[in-house]
Amino acid sequence: MTLTRRSFLATGAAASAAIGTPMIVKAQPSEYVFGSSLPMTGPFATAGQLVAPALKMFEDLANEDGGIGGVPIRTTAEDSGYVPQNALANYQRALATEENLVYYYGDSTGFMKLVAPELKGENARLMGSTSFASELANPEKNPYQYLAGPSYEDQFDILLQNIANQGGSTVAFIYSNTEFGRDPLERGRARAEELGIEVVLEESTKAQGADVPTHVTKLAQSNAEYCILQGYVTGVWPQLIGGARQFGLPTKFMGTFWGMEKLIADRVTAESGPFLDGYLGVMPYRYSYDAENAPRYARYAEYQKTAFAGTPLETYMPTWGLQSLCAMELGLMALRQVHDEGKELTAENAAEALASIQDWDSGGFFGVPVSMEGNKIGTGRVYEYSAETNLFTPASDWFTV
Amino acid sequence: MITGNLKASYAADERVFDNPNKRAFFYASLLALAGMAAFANDYVILVACQMGILLIAVTGVNVVTGYTGLISLGHAAFVAVGAYTVTIFHTAFAGTIPDGMMALIAIPLAVAVSTLVGIIVGLPALRVKGLYLAVATLSANFIVIFLIEQEAFARWTGGMVGIDTPVPNLLGWQLDTKREMFVLIAALGVITLLAVQNLFRTRVGRAFIAIRDRDYSAEIMGISLLRYKLTSFAISAALCGLSGALFAYFYARILPEQFELALSLELVAAMIVGGMGRTMGPVFGVLVIVMVPEVIKSIFGVATGGVAGVAQLLAPLQEIAFGLLIVLFLLFEPLGLNHMADRALRALNRWPFAR
Repeated sequence: MTLTRRSFLATGAAASAAIGTPMIVKAQPSEYVFGSSLPMTGPFATAGQLVAPALKMFEDLANEDGGIGGVPIRTTAEDSGYVPQNALANYQRALATEENLVYYYGDSTGFMKLVAPELKGENARLMGSTSFASELANPEKNPYQYLAGPSYEDQFDILLQNIANQGGSTVAFIYSNTEFGRDPLERGRARAEELGIEVVLEESTKAQGADVPTHVTKLAQSNAEYCILQGYVTGVWPQLIGGARQFGLPTKFMGTFWGMEKLIADRVTAESGPFLDGYLGVMPYRYSYDAENAPRYARYAEYQKTAFAGTPLETYMPTWGLQSLCAMELGLMALRQVHDEGKELTAENAAEALASIQDWDSGGFFGVPVSMEGNKIGTGRVYEYSAETNLFTPASDWFTV
Repeated sequence: MITGNLKASYAADERVFDNPNKRAFFYASLLALAGMAAFANDYVILVACQMGILLIAVTGVNVVTGYTGLISLGHAAFVAVGAYTVTIFHTAFAGTIPDGMMALIAIPLAVAVSTLVGIIVGLPALRVKGLYLAVATLSANFIVIFLIEQEAFARWTGGMVGIDTPVPNLLGWQLDTKREMFVLIAALGVITLLAVQNLFRTRVGRAFIAIRDRDYSAEIMGISLLRYKLTSFAISAALCGLSGALFAYFYARILPEQFELALSLELVAAMIVGGMGRTMGPVFGVLVIVMVPEVIKSIFGVATGGVAGVAQLLAPLQEIAFGLLIVLFLLFEPLGLNHMADRALRALNRWPFAR
């Protein structure tokens, strides 16, 4: 066949159509990816190892509900070792290798701060995290990042409000000498003053291996009725409470989200006795065993029973897992809304949809309908630990601050 | 049979690249870097930048430990000083100095301040050696981080919560992407390596080596220990300061925890794995320390499809694999990867007469 100009153009057009057609078909991706960095090794490996299985559960249940507009989702997780730069590299790798990455879940305040200025244009994704750092809940500065609950400042507000409601007049703040520990202090001081509560002690400790007797002695000297512990995960806070009880102090101890895990409290009780009895703390979410009128929790429980048989997750979802699940459910809801509105699944559209969430009946996480205000949900309530039943049970109504 | 490179004059022996293979390698490396800047994806650029920043700091540690024989476990402090100097300078002179000039002043200033701190930290090196010096320098790391974290300086350093860093602007060229930063980091990385290679052709560099090999013999030969040990610390700290300045420009935020003991140990580990007292040692070391964990992670990621449940089980294995790799290197090639590469290249050069 002689190649004429006409036949060349016709062949070219046919070839373009043949090559282009799959591109058009490809406009609907085969999957959407929810990436994550988790501390599966390093100082917070316990938390990361417990959260990882929850992601698979989230994926399976979301896909049972049709993914996003019929397109299934896939979750991925990579280890960060709790090093912000590693998590940043994980995020960049996910951007480079996952074509349809629509959401990312970070594992530390440090990572969220490090990545925030990078979230521009094509590199931006809607991003939840394990952090409740107050600084992150700032739509102007960090439009694509959000907290799936109250910030640490909000949690202090809730605890101080509870102290005021109980007629308390003095409080001590004991915190780890970390960014995490210091986060809500300033706000706490101001709020305590507003509520007429005197802050009689502000004591900084090491995040690990603190000099417990010294701190307990200072607490005894301050004679505080309540003591709020902030900035600890698995260690120090139980030792401080144990030390205070041995000292005979009647001080009531309170914690925030990361110091409220039942698995830790149970282990401490089993190993060292019932001194955590009466320990109070703020928790944004209902514990997984509190599944009455909580269809989402019931569904989780059903899945856990079969998928996680023989592991601690068979009958209980740790609070750390609940936090990740809640964050991802919020992200999924926002992305579904964007899809339903016929818009592209960009971080900007997703953030806009997320900000519009009002009076959400979470089906389990929160005991009341909640709203996303200023990229956070400022709702939580106080729970109390019983060493006899090994359960945290509600000690207040839900507060929204 | 080829037994070496013929050098017919002293000048030939003095050349930075004393044989054609080295020259070819150098130009090929420049081409590869240019190719990366143009074609590599964002992830590769990110990892390359991390390697470049670390490379400059490891080269600094190599000067003081590899060449001069003074063990330091506190070099992360100099990186921190460089990073915070740049950030503080930008905060202090915003609006006073034109944007396009800021980085051109801030980078040399960061180097100068780190040099000064390096001289102060190096003072104990005049009295103590070996493990005692390691402990003395270690304390420098803790002191610098302690000062950065103090609330009293938080206005400048951000305290515990860290501080946002500026975007560098070189005479109107805003380096606001990782790719643009890669160009700067790669250029300074290459210059650093060349400068250090050159340093050890000079009287100063040879004095360092003499001190490393036997300090009292060096002193008897007329080398002032006071002067050269402090010079070594100063040059080493200056390079770490440069690395810190780039660190601040590269990451959008710096946190004190990024400059703690772990970084100092990483610098020393990279130097040992790569090859102490060799110009290319830090390059090999950084390749292992930064790239190998990424490669292992990518291999595991491909093997498992990134499934969270599997990743959860394999994450500790990645750490073990990386640890094993380092141990095997130290067992079978204690002189570092550089030595391994040397042997391979020598065999290639003399093939088929030698293996």
